[in-house]
Amino acid sequence: MKRRLNITKNILIPTLILCVAFFLCLMLENLFDQRNSISIVFIFAVFIISLVTDGYLCGIIAALVSTVAINYAFTFPYFSLNFTIPQNLLSALIMLIIAIMTGTLTTKIKQQEIIKAESEKERMRANLLRAVSHDLRTPLTTIYGSSSALIDNLDSFSREQQLKMLNGIKEDSDWLIGMVENLLSITRIDSGQVQLIKTPTVLEELIDSVILKFKKRYPTYRVDINIPDDVIIIPMDAILIQQVLINIMENAVHHADGMTHIELEVKSSDKQATFEVRDDGCGIEQNKLSDIFRGINLSVNRSSDTKQRNAGIGLSVCSTIIKAHGGEIYAKNAENGGAIFGFILNTEE
Amino acid sequence: MNNKYKVLVVEDEVNIMNLISALLETNGYKVITAKTCASAKPLYASYMPDLIILDLGLPDDDGMNLLRDIRQTSATPIIILSARSNEKDKVDALDAGANDYVTKPFGSAELLARVRSVLRNNRHSSQEGRLPGGRFVLNDLLIDYDARRVFIKDNEVKLTQTEYNIVTLLSEYSGKMLTYAAIIKEIWGTSDDGSIKKLQVNMANIRKKLGAKPGENNYIINELGVGYRMND
Repeated sequence: MKRRLNITKNILIPTLILCVAFFLCLMLENLFDQRNSISIVFIFAVFIISLVTDGYLCGIIAALVSTVAINYAFTFPYFSLNFTIPQNLLSALIMLIIAIMTGTLTTKIKQQEIIKAESEKERMRANLLRAVSHDLRTPLTTIYGSSSALIDNLDSFSREQQLKMLNGIKEDSDWLIGMVENLLSITRIDSGQVQLIKTPTVLEELIDSVILKFKKRYPTYRVDINIPDDVIIIPMDAILIQQVLINIMENAVHHADGMTHIELEVKSSDKQATFEVRDDGCGIEQNKLSDIFRGINLSVNRSSDTKQRNAGIGLSVCSTIIKAHGGEIYAKNAENGGAIFGFILNTEE
Repeated sequence: MNNKYKVLVVEDEVNIMNLISALLETNGYKVITAKTCASAKPLYASYMPDLIILDLGLPDDDGMNLLRDIRQTSATPIIILSARSNEKDKVDALDAGANDYVTKPFGSAELLARVRSVLRNNRHSSQEGRLPGGRFVLNDLLIDYDARRVFIKDNEVKLTQTEYNIVTLLSEYSGKMLTYAAIIKEIWGTSDDGSIKKLQVNMANIRKKLGAKPGENNYIINELGVGYRMND
């Protein structure tokens, strides 16, 4: 399928463009007796071909073909090839150089765009990696320290102390599990390279699954759900969108001081579904708002105490996932206090 | 002593093996351990365990092969224990005959609950077959198989034919995760592009009629991209 697409793109379309250019020139010549613009028409054709095809080759071939075509049809002697006349040879050579340079330039621009996108991706990955490895140390310290202490001096701790340390191990393992889930989400996006595999997902089942997972870890928080009554089916990678919602809700638990409950609302129109998570906590500081999804407000100027670490990673993963879905993610403060995190997904394939 | 359930645990990680063994033994199960597929086969043949807990990533072979091998000759319940968390891995294992799928990392309570559930349901189906008559009770839900009627708290729930068939199918295998493909095959026989959507819409109606709300799903658990399970 992809191969056929490449053939269309790299062979059929350039041929078509060259034919159009050729007939355009014939028309110009016959109807208006115009010869000056013939080379320009061909250069324009080569320019377009370089733009739409992959690599240099098509552009160069198109340039060569154009040169031959001009020599054959539009320069004296007409309808025969003759490169021996110095004038023809020179104009052919110049035409060829211009065409090749145009081709190379456009290809270079295209490559630079790819490199730019790649380096953006690379930068995000590096950010994430740095944040993660930094943040892994704290829970590992608890787990390693507590367990080895318990093994070495089990009897010298009181039962209460033992339980406390074991609870610490469990809590920090829980945190590590969450982190691993997030990292897995990223690899799920990267490993495919091609587009995400979207499957039709019933909104209600998604929300059900999210709430069950969330309640299992944070049983004390109240979550109010407001979703449409109808059966709504949205194409998505359900595991990833589930991760997004859990990350946003978890973010509220860890960072929205004074939060008592979370509201989860989904609105659906013909083409889009808008998910919103609102909390009644302290809201987001204005200066953090713009960078909140970039995963850089962690570990900078912050001691990694339990409440603050994990900041950003979860949200930057959210942003990556939503972008991979071709959606849009946003964060803002509600007028009556508290933060709103939302994202929009297309409901059509 | 002899009426203890025998559980064959196939797992190559020593720490996880120790954890599972300790957990099962303190809860009254007899544990037999194997670290490879090759050593698991003779142990399975000689002990005929009541349950197998099988890790997929074993050093000598993929656990999936052992699963298929065993399923060719017996219906011994098998719980897959795996670090592979993709929906496809789960669906493959369940469709190959696994009774349940537990992803690592797991909590002790979770594993024990699955073990109990699988053993209980296996006993049911082997003794009573596919429950030709009788009733199914789960909290407030009651299914009267003879009358083909479903009640919640003594109020009858009006289900369509298809919806009733789905609910009874899930109840017959209660505790077992049924994949979309498995349910579609049982209910409609054949499947096409629209099958999953048809199932999803039917499930949505069933949930509504049973009065389930997101997050407090009392009777039917859905696992995204995998299938459904009647809770137990």
